[in-house]
Amino acid sequence: MHKILTLFKREYKAAVRTKSFIISLLLVPIMMGGGFAAVLIMENKVDTEDKHFTVIDRTGELQEYLRQSVDNRNSNDITHTRSGEQTDPAFVVDFVNYDEIDFEAQQLALSNRVKSAELYAYIEIGPGFIHGNGEESGAYLRYYSEHSFNDPFRGWFSNTLNKKAQLVRAAELNLDDEQTRHLTKWIGIEGMGLASVDKKTGEQQEAEKTNEAQSFLVPYVMMILMFMLVMMGAIPQLTAVMEEKNEKIAEVLLGSITPFQFMMGKVLGGIGVSLTTAAIYVAAAIFTLNYTGMQDLVPYDVLPWFFIFAVLFILMVGSGMAALGATCNDNKDAQSLTFPGILPAIIPMFLMMPIIQDPGGAFATTMSLIPIFTPTLMVVRMASTVTIPMWQPIVGLIGVILYTWFTVWMGARVFRTAILIQGQKPTLGTLLKYALKP
Amino acid sequence: MNIIELDGVSKTFGSVKAVNDLQLSVPKGSIYGFIGPNGSGKTTTIRMIMKIMYPDRGSIRINGREHDSRRLQNVGYLPEDRGLYKKMKLGELLQFHGELNEGVDLKNRIDYWLDRLDLKAYKEKKVETLSKGMRQKLQFIATILHQPEIVILDEPFGGLDPVNADLMKDVILELQQKGATIIFSTHDMSVAERMCDYIFMIYKGKKVLDGTLNEIQDQYGNDTIRIQSDLGAAALEGIKGIESVNNFGKIQEVRVSSGADPQTILADLLKQTRIMHFEITKPSLNDIFIRIASPESKEVSHA
Repeated sequence: MHKILTLFKREYKAAVRTKSFIISLLLVPIMMGGGFAAVLIMENKVDTEDKHFTVIDRTGELQEYLRQSVDNRNSNDITHTRSGEQTDPAFVVDFVNYDEIDFEAQQLALSNRVKSAELYAYIEIGPGFIHGNGEESGAYLRYYSEHSFNDPFRGWFSNTLNKKAQLVRAAELNLDDEQTRHLTKWIGIEGMGLASVDKKTGEQQEAEKTNEAQSFLVPYVMMILMFMLVMMGAIPQLTAVMEEKNEKIAEVLLGSITPFQFMMGKVLGGIGVSLTTAAIYVAAAIFTLNYTGMQDLVPYDVLPWFFIFAVLFILMVGSGMAALGATCNDNKDAQSLTFPGILPAIIPMFLMMPIIQDPGGAFATTMSLIPIFTPTLMVVRMASTVTIPMWQPIVGLIGVILYTWFTVWMGARVFRTAILIQGQKPTLGTLLKYALKP
Repeated sequence: MNIIELDGVSKTFGSVKAVNDLQLSVPKGSIYGFIGPNGSGKTTTIRMIMKIMYPDRGSIRINGREHDSRRLQNVGYLPEDRGLYKKMKLGELLQFHGELNEGVDLKNRIDYWLDRLDLKAYKEKKVETLSKGMRQKLQFIATILHQPEIVILDEPFGGLDPVNADLMKDVILELQQKGATIIFSTHDMSVAERMCDYIFMIYKGKKVLDGTLNEIQDQYGNDTIRIQSDLGAAALEGIKGIESVNNFGKIQEVRVSSGADPQTILADLLKQTRIMHFEITKPSLNDIFIRIASPESKEVSHA
C-alpha cells in the first residue's frame, strides 16, 4: 500500500501542478458561465427590424380585424414598459386577394418575395377557417416562410386569428363578450412536487411547485460533472501508461513495484485529480446557490452517493484504460482504443433525455442498474424530483463494486503482461490472451 | 554463500527460446559480469531475476528464498533502457524512487550521491534539462539510493564518456567494498576483464561461459601470440601454424593452430622481419567472445 500511495502522490502532484490543470479548472466554468451570459446578452439583442407579411384572407372577414390587431400590437406590445426601448419588431401587414385562376403562380411569386427578403412570410387563411370543419372544408391556417417550423411569429398569427374565430362563432350563438371569455378561458396545469415529512421536526412539508431547474438542471449538471470527472481522471490513463511504457519508465518502476501497484497508483492519481476538481466545483456551486438564495437546488442527500459512484466509476474506467494503454505501441493504437474505452461515459449522455423525462420509469430503472451506466444514470435519477426506492441505489452500488472489482482484476492481468511487450498489436484476441494467461 | 541462484531456468517467447535451462550461482559480495551478443538472453535473465518476468520453468532463489509475487527488497535495478520522468526535478525524482524502494535517511543520501556524481548543482533542475550522460548518472543514483544489498546494472557504462565511466566504476567498486553484490551486463570486454570477479556468457539463450577470468582463459589454453614487428601483419603471410590473425595495426594477435609450436613460428618470422615483441599468452575475453559469437564460429563450449 505504501508503494501505491507513493506513486499516487507523484501522479497527483504531477497532474495538479500543471498549468493545463489550472487552466482547465478555470476554463470550464468560464466557458459554461460564458455560454449562459451569451444567451442572456443575445436574448436582449433581438432583431427589431420591421417584419413584412402578406395575408391572403380567403374568408374575406378578417382583414380589418387583423389590421387592428397588428396596430394594437405595434402600439402596445413591442416596447419595454419602463424603458420604452423597442424589444420586438413591428409588423407591417398587407393583403392580397386569392388568385382563383392561378394560385400556384401567386404562391411562387410570394415565395420569391420571401426569398428576396422583401417579405418575412405570407399567410393563407383558408376559406372555411371560421365556419368550416376539417381541412377539406377550408378550415386551415398556413404560414409560409423560410423557417416556418420554429418561426417566432407564427404563434402570434395563430392565436390572434383563432381568438377572432372563437368570438365570431360565439356571437353566432348569441353569447356576449363576457360569456365568450368565460367559455374560452384556459387554465394551465401546474407541476407540483409531493408532500413530505421533515425528518428533524416531524412536521408535514407542503408540496411545492416544481421548476425547470429542479427537474432538469440539477440532474443535467450532475451528469455533466460525472462525465467531466471520468474524462479528467480515467480517460488520460491510456496515453499516460502508453507513454511511460514507450519511454521505458515502466520497466524502471517495475524493478521496485508490481504491475498491479503501478496500475493502481496511476488510477488512484486520476481519482485524486478528479475528486479535487469535483470538490472545487461542488463547493463553488453550493456557495453560489446559497449566495443567490437558491440553496434548495443543492441535492445534499445525493452528493455522498455522487462521490462514491464517481470514485468507483473512475476506478472502473481508469483501470480498463490503463490496461489498454499498456497494450499500445503508438498513438495510432491509442486512438483506436480510446473510443471503446470512453463508451461507458458517453452512452449515458445519449440516454439522458428519456431518463430525465421519466426518472422513475422502467427504462430508466433498468438502464441505471447496468453496472457500466449505474454511476451516471443512478445519480441522475436520484437528483431528479422523483423519489427513487432506496433498494435501487444500493443494488446499483453492489453491482458497480462487483463490476469494478472485475475490471480492476482483468485490467491488472492484461497490464502485467502487456506493459513489457513491444510491437504486438492490441487486438481483442491479444487482450483475451493476456487476460487469460496463467 | 550464494546470494542469487538460478536452477534450470527457461523462458520462451512464442517460438523463440530466449533462455534455455540456465544454471547460475552468484556469490555474495562479488561482481558478476554478464556478457553475450545482442539478443542472447542477458536482459531476459536479468528481468527474471528482478521478477519483472517469470520463468516458464526452473527456479530462482534470492538469499535462499524462492521467488514469489512480492517485489524484491534490497535490490537496485538499472535497466538497459533508461526511463525517467522528464518534468520532475532531480531532488524530487530521487526522493520518489527512494520512497518506492523504502529507503531511509533519503534527504542526506540524495545530497551525498548528487555531490559524489557531480550533479549537486542540478538538484532543483528538471530532468529534461540534463544531458544523456547526466541522466544515466541520475538513474544510477536512483538505483543505489536505498543502499541495496544486490545491485543489478544492465549496460551501466553505455553512453558515458571516459571520465564519467571511470567515476561510475569507482562507485561500483565502492559499493562492493561496502558488501553489495553487483551484477552488470556489458559489451565492453576490457571492463569485464578488469572489474568482474566472475564472468558469465550467454549465447542463444544458453550459458557458454561461467567462472573467473583465469578459469575461462584456462579452458582455451596458451594458444595466442601477441606480435609487434617491422612489417606488421604482412610478416605473417605464409607462416605455417597460424590459424587466424586479429590485426590491431601496431600489434597482431595470432591464434596458433592445434599442435603447432610457437617457437617455430618465431623462427620463421625472424627470417622475414625484425621482432620487437613476442608474447605467448592466453586469449583475451574479447577474443574468446568473438570465437564463440562470430557467425562462422562453431566452438561453443557449453560450460
